[in-house]
Amino acid sequence: MKKKRYAIVLDTRRCIDCKACTVACKAENDVPLGDDKFRNWVSEEPLRGRYPNLGQSFAPSQCNQCENPPCNSVCPTSATGITAGGIVTVNPDKCIGCKYCMLACPYDARYFNEETGVIDKCTFCIQRIAVGRIPACVETCPTKVRTFGDLNDPNSEVSLLLAKNRYRVLKPELGTKPFLFYLI
Amino acid sequence: MSAIVNKPGQMLWFFLLGGCLIAAAAAAGYSFMVGHEQAFNVTRGVPWGILIATYVFLAISCSGLCLISSLGHVFGFEEFTLICRRAILLAILCLMGAFGAIGLDLERPFNMIYTLLSPNFSSAIWWMGTVYGVYLGVLVIEFYALMTDNHKLSMITGSLGFLFAIAAPSVLGSVFGLTLARPFWHGAFLPVYILITALVSGTALISMVMYFQHALRGLEMDEKDRRVIRLLGRILRLMLFVLIFSVFWNIIVGLYGAQPGHYEPVKALVSGSLSANFWLGEIVIGLVVPLFLLMRKNRTPFSTMMASLMALIGMFFMRYDMTVAGQIYPMRQGAKGLTDGLFTYSPSVSEILIVIGCIAFSALVYTLVEKFLSLDLESEHHSQATPDNS
Repeated sequence: MKKKRYAIVLDTRRCIDCKACTVACKAENDVPLGDDKFRNWVSEEPLRGRYPNLGQSFAPSQCNQCENPPCNSVCPTSATGITAGGIVTVNPDKCIGCKYCMLACPYDARYFNEETGVIDKCTFCIQRIAVGRIPACVETCPTKVRTFGDLNDPNSEVSLLLAKNRYRVLKPELGTKPFLFYLI
Repeated sequence: MSAIVNKPGQMLWFFLLGGCLIAAAAAAGYSFMVGHEQAFNVTRGVPWGILIATYVFLAISCSGLCLISSLGHVFGFEEFTLICRRAILLAILCLMGAFGAIGLDLERPFNMIYTLLSPNFSSAIWWMGTVYGVYLGVLVIEFYALMTDNHKLSMITGSLGFLFAIAAPSVLGSVFGLTLARPFWHGAFLPVYILITALVSGTALISMVMYFQHALRGLEMDEKDRRVIRLLGRILRLMLFVLIFSVFWNIIVGLYGAQPGHYEPVKALVSGSLSANFWLGEIVIGLVVPLFLLMRKNRTPFSTMMASLMALIGMFFMRYDMTVAGQIYPMRQGAKGLTDGLFTYSPSVSEILIVIGCIAFSALVYTLVEKFLSLDLESEHHSQATPDNS
């Protein structure tokens, strides 16, 4: 059987900026309260046009679970690792809290969790995947912005979406090979 | 044992340094009790603050001291043998102060054991920690060799120390230079630039110490002392000149073409939130005035010391600005807490106290060693200064 490679495909045109994904993530993963404590987020893009013809887009995001993650390269104690399925994780027992990974990540995907005393990040809810469930942010979204699945399965929903639609990844020029895909 | 003239200021000096250490210990204890998030002003946007800048400042000064001292006992320039013992002792203490600063910045310093148990050889921080760790061992042996006049051992450890003094700052520069996500840091410039600044820091520090170890002990400077201070002044002048060009091109490259991520931090240095640090701290205090003082024909040991002190203060600003400027550009659109599109940072009281403590530690141990061990060479014979020539 082929190894799994997890990815999330996002259709940002569906996002209504309700931030249910952030709330669900915080509840599922014990992310502390606070403005700069989050594993995922919704960025509000600038307003377009002139009143009364206005438009605005929202850009939900999280760790890109890169194939070539800079956060993994810079970690001095190998606390950061890549699990089966391509998910980038942090081993809290090895993390020294130097925060170099926070600086190396071009997506601002990592934060310092003051409750655990180590760096924390999105793991696609690895604990849910283990029992056959999908990530909390995917499950909770009322407009189904995110689709989660295995890209190595050609019949998975994510594979089909990427086959049928044009898409982009964030900062491709950095060579990180992200696995968060944005439909265009 | 050195003949040290007891001065009323001596007690005050020890009280001052002791007070700084107690305050720093209290701040460090507080930060571990309430957590760094509460005690320090570092944030998700700017996770590295003044403690990292202090680490860089002290670690680089260590390498610079080692490079300068190697002119004497490795490359055979007779004049510089005078400074070897003090330079290597200071290098050791600067490195210990640097380790203190970074150790207190780490959230879980005890997990450092995993740098040995599960090392990541692709991590620049791993290489930096390893190189500086071994380097400290080499410096301790080198100091022992110098103190026991073991010329063979001092030659071997001095040569090794010289290699480490080149390798260590460039590896430290690579910690910043290899960060692809941060255009202000990324590239080959920082490893080389840091090496230049190491020479400025090291030369400035040993010039100051050479001046004060005479002035404060009431000893008269003989011709050899004056000559070595004059030579140190010349080296410092040359390195400042080179550094001015480095800073100039770094700024021009940042502004030219307005590349996102590189342009904004440089703009913050030139005319934004870091401009006072840059123009006053780095340029005026750190580069222009010291260079002016060192270019004067009739410069004295005092004016060389003043130039060195100012260059050293400028170096600290340079470390701080380099550390902070690289982080202020947000990694994504819509980040919260921005001012004019950039993150801001200013150190907390706890951070400042810990910085003072790390520097005070180095100064205190140095003064104690200077007081209780003879750092003068056998060939040196000092006479007490008369009031009019001290």
